[in-house]
Amino acid sequence: MDKISVRFLPDNLIANVEHGTSLLLAAASVGLELKSNCGGDGTCGRCLVKVQEGRPNVKSEGSISLKAKQSGLVLACQAAAVENLVVDIPQESRLDEHQVLLEEKDILVEKDDFLAAGYSLNPLCRKIKLTLSEPSLTENISDFSRLQSAIRNEIDCHDVRIGLSMLKGLAEVLRTGDWRVTVTVAQLNGCAEIINVESGHTDKPAYGLAVDIGTTTVAAYLLDLESGVTLCQKGTYNKQSTYGDDVITRMIHASVPKGLRELHTAIILTINQLIVELLSQSDISSDDIHLAMVAGNTTMTHLFLELTPRYIRLEPYIPLASFVPLVKAEELGLKINPAAQVACFPSVASYVGGDIVSGALITNMAKREEITLLIDIGTNGEMVLGNEDWLISVSCSAGPAFEGGGITFGMRAMKGAIEHVSIDPETFEVEVTTIGNVKATGICGSGLIDCLAKFHRAGIIDRAGKLQADINTSRMRQGDDGWEFVLVWSDEADSADIVVTENDIKNLMRAKGAVYAGIRSMLKAVQLEEEMIDKVLIAGGFGNYINIRDAVAIGLFPDLPPEKYTFIGNSSVKGARLALLSQEAYSEAQELGKKITYLELSNGNDFMDEFVSALFLPHTDMSLFPSLAANND
Amino acid sequence: MAFNAVKDKYRSKVGEVVLGATKEQGGTRDYTITIGGEAALPFLHFEGEIPNRPVVAMEIWDVAPTDWNDCFKPFYADVWNDPVAWAKKCVDEYGAELIVLHLKGADPDVKDATPEECAKVVKDVLAAVGCPLVVTGCGKPEKDNLVLPLVAEAAAGENLLLGVAEQENYKSLTAACMVHKHNIIAQSPIDINICKQLNILITEMNLPANRIVIDPTIAALGYGVEYGYSIMERARNGALQGDTMLGMPMIGNVGYEVWRTKEANASSDDFPGWGEQENRGILWEATTAMALLQAGMNVVVMRHPKASNLIKQNIEELMVKTSFDE
Amino acid sequence: MALTGLEIFKQLPKKNTGDCGFPTCLAFAMAVAAGKSSLDKCPHITEEAKETLGAAAAPPIKLVKVGAGNTEVELGDETELFRHDKRFFHPTAIAVLIKDTDDVAAKLENFKELEFDRVGLHYRTDMVALTNDSGDSSKFKAAAEAIVAGSKAALILISEDLAAMESAVAAVAGSKPLLYAAESHNYEAMTALAQKYQCPLAVKGEGLAELAELVEKITKLGQKDLVLDSGSRATSQVLADLTQIRRLAVKKRFRPFGYPTIAFTSKEDALEEVVQAGVYLSKYASIIVLKTDKKETLLPLESWRQNLFTDPQKPIQVESKAVAVGEVTPESPVYITTNFSLTYYIVEGEVESSKVPSYILPVNTDGTSVLTAWAAGKLAGESIAKALKENDMESKVNHKTLILPGYVAVLSGSTEEATGWNVKVGPREASGITKFAKENYA
Repeated sequence: MDKISVRFLPDNLIANVEHGTSLLLAAASVGLELKSNCGGDGTCGRCLVKVQEGRPNVKSEGSISLKAKQSGLVLACQAAAVENLVVDIPQESRLDEHQVLLEEKDILVEKDDFLAAGYSLNPLCRKIKLTLSEPSLTENISDFSRLQSAIRNEIDCHDVRIGLSMLKGLAEVLRTGDWRVTVTVAQLNGCAEIINVESGHTDKPAYGLAVDIGTTTVAAYLLDLESGVTLCQKGTYNKQSTYGDDVITRMIHASVPKGLRELHTAIILTINQLIVELLSQSDISSDDIHLAMVAGNTTMTHLFLELTPRYIRLEPYIPLASFVPLVKAEELGLKINPAAQVACFPSVASYVGGDIVSGALITNMAKREEITLLIDIGTNGEMVLGNEDWLISVSCSAGPAFEGGGITFGMRAMKGAIEHVSIDPETFEVEVTTIGNVKATGICGSGLIDCLAKFHRAGIIDRAGKLQADINTSRMRQGDDGWEFVLVWSDEADSADIVVTENDIKNLMRAKGAVYAGIRSMLKAVQLEEEMIDKVLIAGGFGNYINIRDAVAIGLFPDLPPEKYTFIGNSSVKGARLALLSQEAYSEAQELGKKITYLELSNGNDFMDEFVSALFLPHTDMSLFPSLAANND
Repeated sequence: MAFNAVKDKYRSKVGEVVLGATKEQGGTRDYTITIGGEAALPFLHFEGEIPNRPVVAMEIWDVAPTDWNDCFKPFYADVWNDPVAWAKKCVDEYGAELIVLHLKGADPDVKDATPEECAKVVKDVLAAVGCPLVVTGCGKPEKDNLVLPLVAEAAAGENLLLGVAEQENYKSLTAACMVHKHNIIAQSPIDINICKQLNILITEMNLPANRIVIDPTIAALGYGVEYGYSIMERARNGALQGDTMLGMPMIGNVGYEVWRTKEANASSDDFPGWGEQENRGILWEATTAMALLQAGMNVVVMRHPKASNLIKQNIEELMVKTSFDE
Repeated sequence: MALTGLEIFKQLPKKNTGDCGFPTCLAFAMAVAAGKSSLDKCPHITEEAKETLGAAAAPPIKLVKVGAGNTEVELGDETELFRHDKRFFHPTAIAVLIKDTDDVAAKLENFKELEFDRVGLHYRTDMVALTNDSGDSSKFKAAAEAIVAGSKAALILISEDLAAMESAVAAVAGSKPLLYAAESHNYEAMTALAQKYQCPLAVKGEGLAELAELVEKITKLGQKDLVLDSGSRATSQVLADLTQIRRLAVKKRFRPFGYPTIAFTSKEDALEEVVQAGVYLSKYASIIVLKTDKKETLLPLESWRQNLFTDPQKPIQVESKAVAVGEVTPESPVYITTNFSLTYYIVEGEVESSKVPSYILPVNTDGTSVLTAWAAGKLAGESIAKALKENDMESKVNHKTLILPGYVAVLSGSTEEATGWNVKVGPREASGITKFAKENYA
C-alpha cells in the first residue's frame, strides 16, 4: 500500500507513514515530539493537534477538554492517518526541550515563508533533463560544449562551468544514457556550475542543506529544492564549545598553533553529524545534497571556512572577508556531494554576521516602507533597524545571561527550567512554573526576565537591582557571594536551593541594559524616536515564550504596544532555507550584505552613556517607558 | 540683518533647597540659605530669573589635618585643633556664609571617633556659629551609617545638609534625613545616569526632591574637571527642560580636590617653570570653582580664604544684570 | 542647524559603492553629519545635491587665522554651544598685553617663559597684544618688529592712530597681525588698511546691535577675516555678549556674528584677572587679552583651556598609574584593573572598604571595561606587563603576585608568561573584593 503523507504545520515537515499510523508517531518520525505524559494512551489529554486538511480516523476522543474539542482539536495519539493530511501542531502541545534549537513559534512567516515574503520558488539548484543531439562528422563540437549549449537553452545563464573530476567521466555518462542525461546545476553569482551529470532521465529532485552556525548551537534543515518542502530539521550543540563558550575565546584559540584547524574541524564535524541524522530520517543519500547554504556570525563563518578571525577581535575590528567565495563541499570536508557548492551569507561587519543578514532577509524588512526592528538575542545581542531605504545594525555584548549563561542557576529553555515566577509582595512566597511541569532544576531566559520584573514589583530589589537585605523573609540570605534570594527550596526542586544572587542580577541588568542601549544607539544614530518603529521582531532561543509585558517592565525592549511584537524563532536558518529556494532571495541577501550599515558602538561615549542609563529598572529615563508610569498611578 | 537677542525660555527651573532653620523654623540658625531656583543657565540673566546666587562654603574638619600645604598654616594653624574655633574663624574672619564640617575623625584609620563624639562636635559647632551647616561623614559607609543617623538625631530641627548618600549606600542616610528633617547630598561618580538613578531611589523612599543636593563628584582642574563640567551642563540643561530627577542644586568639594593635586602644592623651587606656589594653588582652586560655577554649581566648597574671596567676587560680578535683561 | 545623517543620506545616490571609503551610503552620511568626512569624498553625488547640502553644511563660524608660519593661530570654526554635544575645536588664544612704553625686550624675555609642561602636555601662550601708549608711531613700529623678531607669538596691534597702525602693519604685514580695531568712526580706514596689508581685522561695536551693523558694512567692503569685540568690559555683560554671539551664529546662522571673538579682562589684580578670563574662556571667547604675564597665573588658565577643548567623546579614563590605597607596605597585594574610570572607581571603593592596604594598577585599555578590553585584546599579558614595568611595581612590593579580575581568569597563563609574575585570580565582581581580601590577606 502506498504511504500516506502527513504535512505538519507550521514546521512544514512531511512525514510519509504507513496507513493507520497515529499522528503522534507520524510527528515523531520527522522529529516533532509532542507532549505525551501517558505515552499515547489517550489519557493525559496533552498531544492536541488540529487537522487542517483531510480526515483522520479518530479512535476515541480520549480525555480531551470540552474547550479543546470545541476549538476543533484532537488528540494526536488517538487519530490515525488514513489519507493525506495537513496537521497543525499548536505550541502548547510541543515537548519543550526539543524547541531549544528549532523553536517555531513564528507568526510572521507561517506556512510558506518564502511566498509570504514575496519570493517565488526558484531554487538555486535544480535538475535538468536534457536530450542532446548526437554528434556527427559535421556536427562535431566537443562533448562538454554540447552539454553547455543544451544547458544554456534551459537556463538564463551563459557561464556554464564544470569541475575537472566531473569532466573526466562525462564522455561515458553521455554515451551510456544515449545522450539523455539529467544534470544538476547550481546557479549562483552569475554562473552555473554543473554539480552532477546522471545518465538517463531521473525524477529525483535536487536537495539542499540550510545551516545556521551559532556560537552555541547549530541548526540544519534538509530541503527538497524542487517542491520547497523541508524534509526534516535537526539541531545540536556546536562542538567548538570545547575551545571556549564565546566568540572571543574561540578567536583567541584560533590564534594558537593548530587552533584554527581544530575549530574548523569541530564545526565541520558538528555539521556532518547533523547531516547523518538528517539523512537517517529521509531516504536520500549524502550525494543527493547538491548545495549548502550557511548562515553564521562573522567569526563562525570565518572558522567554518578556516579563515583567520584574528583581526576581528583587535581594534579596529576588521574581518578577513565579508563576502566569501563559493567553495566545494569536498574542500571543507562536508559530507554531502563532494562537488556540491557551499555558499555563505555575507557578513556586514565583525560583529554583525551572515546570521543577521539571513534574519533581515526572512523578515523582509528591506522591502517594507514601515520601520522594522529585528532583535536577535543569542550570546550577543544583535539588532537591525530600518526599512526599504536604509538599514542600520549594531552588536552589543549582552552576554549569555538570557541563554542561562553566567547565572548561578541559569539554564537553557528545556525541561525543568523555571519559565514563570510569581511572588506574593506581602509574604515573598514564590510560585514557579517549569517547562514540562517537572521539579525545577534551574531558570531559563524567560524565567530570568520574569524574576527581575517580579523581584522589583515585590520590593526584593530596588530599581538599581540591589537586593534589599532588610526584607522580612528567610528567602533573603547571605550566600557565598553576598546576598541571595531563594526562589525554590531544595525539597521542591530537583537540585539544591535554587537562588538568584546579587551577581546574577547584575549580569541580567547588564544584559538587558546592553540590548536596550544598542536599540537606543541605533535610534539616535538615525535620529528616530521609539514610537516610529512599526514592528519589532524577536529572534533567538532564550525561551519558549517571552512575556512582553515583563520584558518591557525590566526595560529590555522598548515600551511599544504588544501587537507590534512578533517572535520569529531561529531566523537565521529560515533565511538560509529561503535563500536556497529562491534566486531572488539569494541575490537580496547579497544586496543586504552591502546595504546594512554597521554602527560601531565602541566609537565615542554614546553607547556607554546609554548603557549606564539602562542599568536601572526599567530605565533612568522613565519617560521612555510611559506605559509603566501609567500603571504606577 | 538686524540683531535680535536670542532668549531661550525653558519649561522648568532648578529646584530650590533651603539649608538651615531659624528659631521660628525649629532650629537655631541666624539665617537660612536657599540654593537653586534658577530658570536660566548659569548667570545668563536674560534667559530667566536667577533668584539665588551660588554659595561659597568653607571646609573645616573635626581633626587637625596633617597633610595640608604649609600655605594654610597662617590661616588655620591656630584653630584647626578645635573645630569650634575653626568654624568661628571662617565665619568671623573669612566671611563664610556656609560651613562644611567634614567628620574625618570618624574614620577608623584616623581617630575612630565614636558616633556620640561626632554628634557632639556637630552640636558644638552649631552652638558656636549661626550659619547653616553641612556635615559629611568620613567616607567609609559602615562607619558613616552609624555616625550620620546619630548626627541627624542630635541636630534635629537644624535642617542640615548631610552627606553622602551613594547608590550602594543610600538607605540609612535617607531614612535619617526623613525622620529628623534634614537635606541629603546624593553623590554619584561623574556619571549623569547614576546621578539621576540615585535621586530616583532616594525620592522613592519618600524624601522629597527639594531636600536633595547633587554632588556630581568633581575633579580638580587638570584632573578631569571637564568631565564634571560637561555632566553638570547636561544635568542643568535636563533640569531646565523639565527633568525633575536632575533638577536639584549641585555641590562640589573644590578645595578638597584641588589641594590634592601636584599643581597646587608643588614648591616653586621644585617647579620653577610653574611660577610661585601659593598663588598658583589659589588660582588652581579658584579656576576650578569658576569653571564649575559656569556649569551650574550652586555650592562650591572652598579651602583657601583667598580663593574663596576671589570666587565670591566673581559671583558678585556675574550676578549683575545685563543689557539683554528685562 | 546641522543636517542629520538621514537628511544627508536622502540626497546621496544610495548605491553603496564604497568609493567614499565607507561601506554604505548611510555610514558615509552619518560620518558627514558628524563632521568626520566631507561630501566631496562621494564621486557620485549630483551637483544639485552638493549645493543643497553644501549650504547647510557650511561652518556657522568662520575660521580666521592670525599670525603666519609657526606663530599662526587658528580661531573660530566652532559648531557647538556645549562641548558635550560634539566638541570644541579651536582652543582660545591667550594674549599677553605689552605696551610700547614697556621695556619690550624684558617683556619678551619673560614671555618666552610662558610655556608650560605638565602631564606630558605642552601649553603655549599664543599671542602678544601691543598697545600704542606712547602715541609715537615709530616706537609702536619698533615694538611690533621686536615682537615679531623675538617671539613665537602672533601679534595683535592695538592703536587708535591710523598712521601709527599703518607704520607698524607695513613693517610686520608678513606675519599677519590682527589689527585692533575697526570702530564706527574709523572702520573705513581700518578696513582699507587691513585689505591693503591682507590682515585680519578686529571689529569693535558699542554693544551687539552696533557690532552687527559694523560687520555688515565692513564685509560689504570686501574684508573677510574678522574678529568680533562687543565693546563690553563688565564680566556679566561680556558673558552675555559672547553667549549671544555664539548662539546667533550657531543656532540662527546670523551671518554678521559668524566670526571668532575677542575679550579683554578689566581687572587690575592678576588673580582676579585670571578668574575673569576663565569665565570668557569657558563661554566662547576665541582670544582673551590679559595684562598678567606671571607663570603661576597663566598655567591654571591654560590648563583649563586644555581641559575644555579635549574631545569629550573619549571615555573617561584614569591615569595608568599605580594607586596606593591605605598604608601600603611591600607586602601589599596588587590588583589589576582597567583605566576606564567607572571600572577603576568601583574597584577603588571596594579595595578601600576591604581595609587591606593595596595597590591598584589600572592598565591602559583606552578607557574600556574589563571584559571589553579583554575582548579587544587590550587587557592582555603584554599590556599588564607594560603597566607593571612603567610603574616599577617590582620595587614597590617585595612579592611577584598580581590579582587578575575573575572575569579574565583565562588570561592567567599568558599573563604569567608575559610578566614573570604569579597570577592570583580575584573575584569576578568588584563587590567580592572585600571577602577576597579578608580570605587572602587579612
